[in-house]
Amino acid sequence: MNIETAGLIRRFGRTEAVAGVDLAAGPGVFGLLGPNGAGKTTLLRMMATVIPPSSGTLRLLGRDPRASGPRREIRRRLGYLPQQLGYYPSFTTVEFIEYFALLKEMPARQIPGAVAVAVERTDLGGKARARLRTLSGGMLRRVGIAQAIVNEPDLLLLDEPTAGLDPEQRVSFRALLRDLAQRSTVVVSTHLVEDVGAACSEVALMHQGKIVFRGTPAELTARGTDGGAGDAPLERGYTAVLAQARS
Amino acid sequence: MTATQLPARPRAAALRPPSGGTAWRLLRLELRRSPMPWTFPLLAALFAFDPYRTAMGYPAVWTIRASVLPNKMLPDFVVFVVGIAAWVGSRDGRRHTLDLVEMTPRPRWAGQLAAWAATTIWAIVAFLAATAVLYGVTAAQATWGGPPWWPVIVSCAELAALAALGFTAGALFPGRFTAPLAAVGAFVLSLEGFNNAVGRSSAFAVLSPTTYVPANDAGVFYPYPPDVAIDQLMFLAGLTAVVLGVLGLARSSGAGPGLRRGVAVLTAAGTAAALTAVGLAGTARQALPGTSQPPSATAPLSMQAPWVIPALHDAASDQPRPYTPVCQTVAAVPVCIHPAFRIYLPDVAAALGPVLRVVAGLPGAPVRAGQVASGSLVPRSGQVNVGGLPAGEISGTPPAFSYTADQVPARAFAESRGMFITSLQAALVGAFVPAGVSQPATGAPAVPDRRTAPAVAPRVAVQEALLIDVGVPLATQRKQGLIAVQLPSALQAQADIVAQRFAGLPAAARHAWLARHLAALRAGHVTLAQLP
Repeated sequence: MNIETAGLIRRFGRTEAVAGVDLAAGPGVFGLLGPNGAGKTTLLRMMATVIPPSSGTLRLLGRDPRASGPRREIRRRLGYLPQQLGYYPSFTTVEFIEYFALLKEMPARQIPGAVAVAVERTDLGGKARARLRTLSGGMLRRVGIAQAIVNEPDLLLLDEPTAGLDPEQRVSFRALLRDLAQRSTVVVSTHLVEDVGAACSEVALMHQGKIVFRGTPAELTARGTDGGAGDAPLERGYTAVLAQARS
Repeated sequence: MTATQLPARPRAAALRPPSGGTAWRLLRLELRRSPMPWTFPLLAALFAFDPYRTAMGYPAVWTIRASVLPNKMLPDFVVFVVGIAAWVGSRDGRRHTLDLVEMTPRPRWAGQLAAWAATTIWAIVAFLAATAVLYGVTAAQATWGGPPWWPVIVSCAELAALAALGFTAGALFPGRFTAPLAAVGAFVLSLEGFNNAVGRSSAFAVLSPTTYVPANDAGVFYPYPPDVAIDQLMFLAGLTAVVLGVLGLARSSGAGPGLRRGVAVLTAAGTAAALTAVGLAGTARQALPGTSQPPSATAPLSMQAPWVIPALHDAASDQPRPYTPVCQTVAAVPVCIHPAFRIYLPDVAAALGPVLRVVAGLPGAPVRAGQVASGSLVPRSGQVNVGGLPAGEISGTPPAFSYTADQVPARAFAESRGMFITSLQAALVGAFVPAGVSQPATGAPAVPDRRTAPAVAPRVAVQEALLIDVGVPLATQRKQGLIAVQLPSALQAQADIVAQRFAGLPAAARHAWLARHLAALRAGHVTLAQLP
């Protein structure tokens, strides 16, 4: 398993953002659904080794990220797109991706090729030399994805990756996800259920820091046959599970 | 097959540890995108209007021209360097990239070092370019010697240290106001803060390049004394290591235990270097040039006397530099000057010539005038010095008049050429007829007590008369403080009347009277009433 968690808890003061999550995931696209404030981003930040868990067990790529050496090894094989992507406005697209390739300790000689591949895969070729301050929100999102995949990570964590992308870009992004998932574990946190239905092989639904549903998109859809609000079958399943969790 | 059912893929390719090539690429990226070059036009304008213009107003003597590096250029640069460094340091906080840079295997500290280094390198490049312009022009104008490099090295070290301070402030307190606050803080600190903290006359003041300015003729009569520069370099390097070490030890640095130990060692070494430098600064003392020793425990020294730090002192810097003075004969007396100050020979001759003519043939009249290093002359008991400095003395057999080098470049700082000439004339007159009262080391006017004042007054009157005779009226003497003796007002009024009367005598009569009574006058055995 690339991700293994048991009783994972993260507190901020008296608030328990993640309240005991048990999860295991290998290669494939794993969708993390849930309403705002459900704890998806906190869970992803723990998986990205940005913040440590308050308690519980977390193993990534077969290693315990609490120890410095294994954490560094995990980070070399990790890609992460945060929900709010920060960027350096004066850097060009290529420079920004190269910067993170360097921070990911990629061998210097491999970097130009890796950056070119990442630019190509995110369809940023036309904006490769553009300063980031000149790019639109959707373009910047793609730059964020490019920096996340530049080291060909074994574990890719994407927080709201399709926010700001137009429909055509979202379609091609889902194809990219499927391609990446051939050999990596891709965790996609989103509240856009159509992304989950189109790209994910498995999905978990979080509510108030806990996983209240885990299964395939088809299984989530099936939960909506008895009711639930929404225009699409998957949406009805999503709302039905949430309604059940709230009751 | 679902994601949970798939086995974890073994790592495809082992990624090698970071190499020097990677560090260089990181630095190159930061150099390319550093905001520091955007300040260059402003720095160039500031340079042209402040340090360069000031330096061009100074004589083309290397040390004097180089004095603008710490005094003018550093304060100008510091504002921008610290502000930009703080701006760059706060970048991750301001741009919300903390999550990204803190989850990479390479510690965030490594990226921060690259960003700091890029800012520092650009700042130093700009500083060196400005220095090259200044030194290039000086090379075309100077009559002797070569550029002093210690001020350049120390200034660059200060830029690096202040950039580290600004960067760390920005990294630890990211915000849009951090950069301007850091810039203003650094400006105040570099100009006044250090002075206020340790006092300009304190031995510890030598730690700050902007506070400590070597004598105008440093490196002219003796090799440039490196003691203080080495101490400053040690202090600034230590400070830089400590500040960057603090950044590396911060929780957000991302340093692992091994690196953290290394950073701790670096910080400890920096602390040791800085504290050692502070300790060494405490042992700094002013010395007679070429001796590395103070004249005595009690004798005051000129502010221009060089500072030595015994533990860092190299005896080689006490060896005089060979030179052939350039001379001009006036009133049958050769007036000489160091070739570095060659352009001032006409002014010195014009200043000393009239006085030498007046005193020619009198007992103790100098047969030669020559320049000596600043701080060489120790105030003698009973001698009043112009402006508090031992500016000149007559000594030796046959008697020779020595004037210090700081009197010559003083022209550059004086209000006029006339003021420079009159101060040199006063130095010669004061050495020829010592007032018989000692001046405080502070340079304040000597105040004889009521018992000795009547014996001092005649000598003051003769000094005034001699200066009147060479064209310096009493009003000018008062305005410029040329006679630094404060007699009781009634006695001063009498001395002034006598001085004007004495100056009004025919030259031959005055000369004859002085020839007969000079020894008694110098010994304090002549009263005002006895003066013709």
